[in-house]
Amino acid sequence: MASLALPSSREEAWRWSDLSALPALAEARPSGAIPAPDVLWIGDGPRLLFVDGVYDPSRSNPGPVEIGPADARAARHPLGRLAGTRGWRLRIGAEHMPSGTIEIVHLGSGGASHLAAEIEIGEDAQASIVESFAGAGWANRATGITLARSGRLMLMRRILGAAGGFTSLADTAEIGTGASLIATTLAAGAGDSRIDAHLTLAGEEAFAEAGGALLARGQQRHDAALVLRHAEPHGQSRQVWRAVADDQATASVAARVEVARDAQKTDAEQSLRGVLLQRTATINAKPELEIFADDVKCAHGCAVGELDRGALFYLNSRGIPPAPARALLTRAFVADALARIGEEAVREVFVADADNWLSNSPFVSSEVETRPSTSLGTNGRD
Amino acid sequence: MLQITNLHAEVDGKPILKGLDLAIGAGEVHAIMGPNGAGKSTLAYTLGGRPGYEVTEGSVTFTTPFVPSEVEGRAASDAQRVSTSLDTNGVGEALQTTGGEVAVDLLALAPHERAAAGLFLGFQYPVEIPGVSNVQFLREALNAQRAVRGEPPLSGGDFLKRARAQADALGLAPDMLKRPVNVGFSGGEKKRNEMVQMGIIDPRLAILDETDSGLDIDALRHVGHGINSIMRRPDKAVLLITHYQRLLDYVKPDFVHVLAGGRIVRSGGPELALELEREGYVGVAA
Repeated sequence: MASLALPSSREEAWRWSDLSALPALAEARPSGAIPAPDVLWIGDGPRLLFVDGVYDPSRSNPGPVEIGPADARAARHPLGRLAGTRGWRLRIGAEHMPSGTIEIVHLGSGGASHLAAEIEIGEDAQASIVESFAGAGWANRATGITLARSGRLMLMRRILGAAGGFTSLADTAEIGTGASLIATTLAAGAGDSRIDAHLTLAGEEAFAEAGGALLARGQQRHDAALVLRHAEPHGQSRQVWRAVADDQATASVAARVEVARDAQKTDAEQSLRGVLLQRTATINAKPELEIFADDVKCAHGCAVGELDRGALFYLNSRGIPPAPARALLTRAFVADALARIGEEAVREVFVADADNWLSNSPFVSSEVETRPSTSLGTNGRD
Repeated sequence: MLQITNLHAEVDGKPILKGLDLAIGAGEVHAIMGPNGAGKSTLAYTLGGRPGYEVTEGSVTFTTPFVPSEVEGRAASDAQRVSTSLDTNGVGEALQTTGGEVAVDLLALAPHERAAAGLFLGFQYPVEIPGVSNVQFLREALNAQRAVRGEPPLSGGDFLKRARAQADALGLAPDMLKRPVNVGFSGGEKKRNEMVQMGIIDPRLAILDETDSGLDIDALRHVGHGINSIMRRPDKAVLLITHYQRLLDYVKPDFVHVLAGGRIVRSGGPELALELEREGYVGVAA
């Protein structure tokens, strides 16, 4: 990775990101020590384990997911294009629905790992995917998504990487007529992240929801940059983001809604809210609307503040000490963004991840399993 | 149980309480009445420890069996263990856990420690907390208090039983326990919810700030009944802060005080409330 060309923070879309750790991570070698994946699995459906970007078939049950070439359609994204053309692919034929949520766990042991993914949901088909990111290093992922007429996809990401690490996700989605994409991302680890999504509502009555919660403390930085483009009439989109920043951390959300000239009767809603747990922390929220149609409804709300003092005193007066009272209010603040996860078991896990972060014990590799790095990749890197 | 001596307090640098004296004994119900701006709510918040309510002079001593272990070191210097004689009249259940009472400097305690010591503050305007269910909030509150007192946490089942019984007694629909704290509650429901909380927490001393405001007659009766059944016991006490006499029809006070200009200007029996109702604050407090 000698020619690692990264965007500069002088570029508007990257002004809140700090990519300065990436060149060193790109040069570093994985140590082979990864967190034990067992605690990360949620259900009994198909599951795939990638260690440092390499598929581990011995601990996977891929179901409908294929390992191989994947078109993530990220050629023009400065990080996404680095993800390359190999990874995993999910194609669900018309009117099909895999049994159970597909779980993909990405573990890192240091260094950089790049992986592409391609998801195609056929007409009236449906899938639900949870991706969990944990461990050390830089996990760089690009995902291309296509939803045919009335296709439905739930895509849930939990970023639990260790301190000093980086998780970058670049999604590109095309959402067909009457199709629905609900993407929820939770950053509740100790590392940094950059989340990009470019979602196009390409058919009439398409529905897109992109939201999540970014939790940052210490020197952490999370940065989400989203573009939801309404290209056809009667589309609906929702963006609900909650950011929490403590210490000297920075959490940023830039969310743009574009409404093309033909996209009449668009109904778009944005809610970007942040809570500063200390005044030394930073939250950036940038809602943007670019509307070329004349008969649309675009609501946006944006607020950054501190926890409500009246509510804190109310909890204290009932006997709840200051730290748990703050955690309770912060949990409630974040809950909105996680409420859209339809499956209860998955939602509970995401809420528990957020709780762990709030109680200052984010997922870290407490149980480390060490495997010689030479054993990795013999089967996986196809 | 509560001894307030020469209490001075200010908000934003503005003196509100100016030398307030009040003594509340176990088994007593006191009512504080007074015109708007007399300092009634300031008294409640100051006793509860709300940030921004600064005590500049005076002392408040709270005698309680629930002395949090971490607080014991900070008990008032003249604190004395008071041997309890309450076992003899059959209400010593709570007291037996420590076997004695301690006079603590209330003002030295953080708000959550005051709660754990047995103080309950009923809010005039209960706060809405979206995203936190009543049940979750109260269980956390109760168990936090129990932890400070060295008692084991209550299990989910036991807690729910206790919560449902209280909701029933106060005419609050049981499904409101599952709803976010006070969100979408009417004024009356919020006040009933305060009483449900009081019943679950089972404090030693309740300071109820305008608990009757915003209540219709039915709700007033429920709330009055709640205060009587939860707090009318020889080992407990109540300080009712109210603007009007009507709550006192349901909760008969033993003592009535008139607060004006930041001090208690007159004290008397229940007849004083009737006199106030008849003649107004101007006549009585003059």
